Amino acid sequence: MKLVVENLSKSFDQKQVLKDLNFSFEKGKIYGLLGRNGAGKTTFFNCLNEDLPIDSGSFYLEEKKEKHPILAEDIGYVLSTPNVPEFLTAREFLKFFCEIHQDRISNEKTIDDYFDFMKIDPEDRDKLLKDYSHGMKNKVQMLVNIIARPTILLLDEPLTSFDVVVAEEMKEMLREIKKDHIIIFSTHIMELALDLCDEIVILNKGVLEEIDKKDLDNKKWKDKIIQALKETDHA
Amino acid sequence: MLNTFWISFRLKNTYRVNGIIYSIKQLPLIGKILPNKLYQSKALKIIGNIISILIEIGSIFLGKLLYVLFVILAMLDMMKANPSSSFVHIFVFLTIAGAFLNTYMFNPTKDKYYAMILMKMDAKKYTLSDYGYALLKVIVGFLPFTILFGRSVQVPLWICLMLPLFVVCVKATVSAYTLKRYEKTKKVTNENLPEKQLWIAIGVLLVLAYGLPYFGFALSNTIYLILFLSSLLLGGFSLFYIYHFSSYRKIYQELLTTNNNIITQNTTTELLKEQTRKQIELGEGTSNKTGYAYFHELFVKRHRKILTKSAKKTAIISFFILCGVTIVAFVNPTLKAQLNSVILVYLPYMVFIMYMINRGTVVTQAMFINCDHSMLTYRFYRTPKVILGLFRERLKTLIMINLIPALVIGGGLALLLWVTGGTTNPWNYVILVISILAMSIFFSVHYLVMYYLLQPYNIAVEVKSASYKLIQTLTYLVCYYMLQLRLPIFSFGITMILFSIAYSFISLFLVYRYAPKTFKIRP
Repeated sequence: MKLVVENLSKSFDQKQVLKDLNFSFEKGKIYGLLGRNGAGKTTFFNCLNEDLPIDSGSFYLEEKKEKHPILAEDIGYVLSTPNVPEFLTAREFLKFFCEIHQDRISNEKTIDDYFDFMKIDPEDRDKLLKDYSHGMKNKVQMLVNIIARPTILLLDEPLTSFDVVVAEEMKEMLREIKKDHIIIFSTHIMELALDLCDEIVILNKGVLEEIDKKDLDNKKWKDKIIQALKETDHA
Repeated sequence: MLNTFWISFRLKNTYRVNGIIYSIKQLPLIGKILPNKLYQSKALKIIGNIISILIEIGSIFLGKLLYVLFVILAMLDMMKANPSSSFVHIFVFLTIAGAFLNTYMFNPTKDKYYAMILMKMDAKKYTLSDYGYALLKVIVGFLPFTILFGRSVQVPLWICLMLPLFVVCVKATVSAYTLKRYEKTKKVTNENLPEKQLWIAIGVLLVLAYGLPYFGFALSNTIYLILFLSSLLLGGFSLFYIYHFSSYRKIYQELLTTNNNIITQNTTTELLKEQTRKQIELGEGTSNKTGYAYFHELFVKRHRKILTKSAKKTAIISFFILCGVTIVAFVNPTLKAQLNSVILVYLPYMVFIMYMINRGTVVTQAMFINCDHSMLTYRFYRTPKVILGLFRERLKTLIMINLIPALVIGGGLALLLWVTGGTTNPWNYVILVISILAMSIFFSVHYLVMYYLLQPYNIAVEVKSASYKLIQTLTYLVCYYMLQLRLPIFSFGITMILFSIAYSFISLFLVYRYAPKTFKIRP
């Protein structure tokens, strides 16, 4: 299965942020989406999540050469600013989430199993989400986006608010689950992208471009990416 | 010093002009046509500058004009003391009270934050030039009106000339005292957060300002002379102290950054978010329901402060008011008869009352900030089935909760009508109760439908819909207009009931048709 983006364009007033994008993202891989500040990474995610209307083009899921529209349950979107209902406790939010997605949550894990999986301490599980720290809210947001097993997982700078230990745990978790998802991971941090992602895609001047690693070591790959970002910047 | 003043003045003017251009960009229709390059337009900058200068001139004179006119001159008719003495008396006491509440120096404004914290301007030079300019504005702003209005009530010219200087001297004395206090205690004063004792002192000064002339007492011209001379002396010393004070940087570092969310966290929206979050109470309540019903029930329980508790409180207060009026009616037969005739024609008045007690705006605000703001980023939450399902649940809850005070008010008024002499048409009782209930249902539907059809907030919780603001204002104006109407219960009640039914059906139809498209976070 793959996510196909065809001729996707998006402008704000006179500024064209996404220019006729064409790309295929395959299941089983983590794609690192790199781009400079204001390059349009979040806009690209917002378009895929239908938070923003697109100007032209299309995107869909393709399996065995058959096209499927992307449904609400096909997509999980972890925003850089965590969004969780602050009047609920983490347990209540998870319970609610599991109930409304019960047809998609196949294995019978308990809510505490999920908390254990995400390493959320027992004493925090019944606290109101409004009293959670930024990083903790991010963990909960990540958890609910994962447990419904969406085909596409969009992660917008998800690890920046985690401490180093949690960030490592999250990376490990993403590697574990990647076989079941199409994961697109947006970040500014080159080292993180090189460490975690299978493919690097840069978004610059409104265009998506894959930077092939081939036989390069990480150092040379990194130089190639930086060069690509600089080149497109001055194009 | 002059150079510092000029830089800070230009800085203030630049963001004021940008603010004006931003406001132009927010206008419905016009804003959409105008390009984003607006801020580069020289012509618009010139227009912005002209408006900015007008605002500056307005800030010098307008406030003072209204102050002297309404707070002092308009009150003189009520005073037993002669107008001339009363004028000066009220002015002097209000000046002393105002000097503590409006020091200018200890007001943490955005201008100061931008200049001293963001732009790292020299705190002492900035403060002295800025404060000096503020005091100059006080003199220039007050002088024409103390002369104009003071002379109109025969205040001697020398007093008219002295009054603006007196204001400056008292303000400077209070500021110098506050600085001295900082030197001793290291405690920074924020004039927007006055201490309790100060409120008591202000209360006493207000009583002295208006109370004494009301009973015919006012200070004499000799006392004013002594007061003015001593204020000049103290003011002079204070200005000298202010000029030589050196710890402005430390004071403003604390005043403008510590615990001052209003400035550091981008304006009132952060404050609004903070206040709305505080409405969430964990309490004991949980829910046995599942799915969206579970989600909604918990929302209601966690927001009982603004939902159930608030409605019950209104119901209890209404109950006691109605009981009180009933007792008074029994004690005073003349009033009883008057009350009866009032109830028979004052039903339109109740539209405004029901408008005032309905907390639709606060509730929908809490729905957005504490719930939909985050949940609308999840795609499953934006599906038509979920949007309309939750809308139904919310509408049912809001109607039920608002019906509690409506029942008390409707029932209470019908009872009051009966005990004050009744009515020849028994239908009046039924229509009175049902029309009050209809008004309550109307407002519940109105606010929720507006929220779902116009969803006015963006991700930063700013109201971005001009139509929403317009409808809110129109709602207020129509309800206010109802205060002027005197119509019989029967005809107005029937009209109100039919209107509420029609409005509810039409608006629900519109919600079912359009809300799946309109209920989303504004870009």
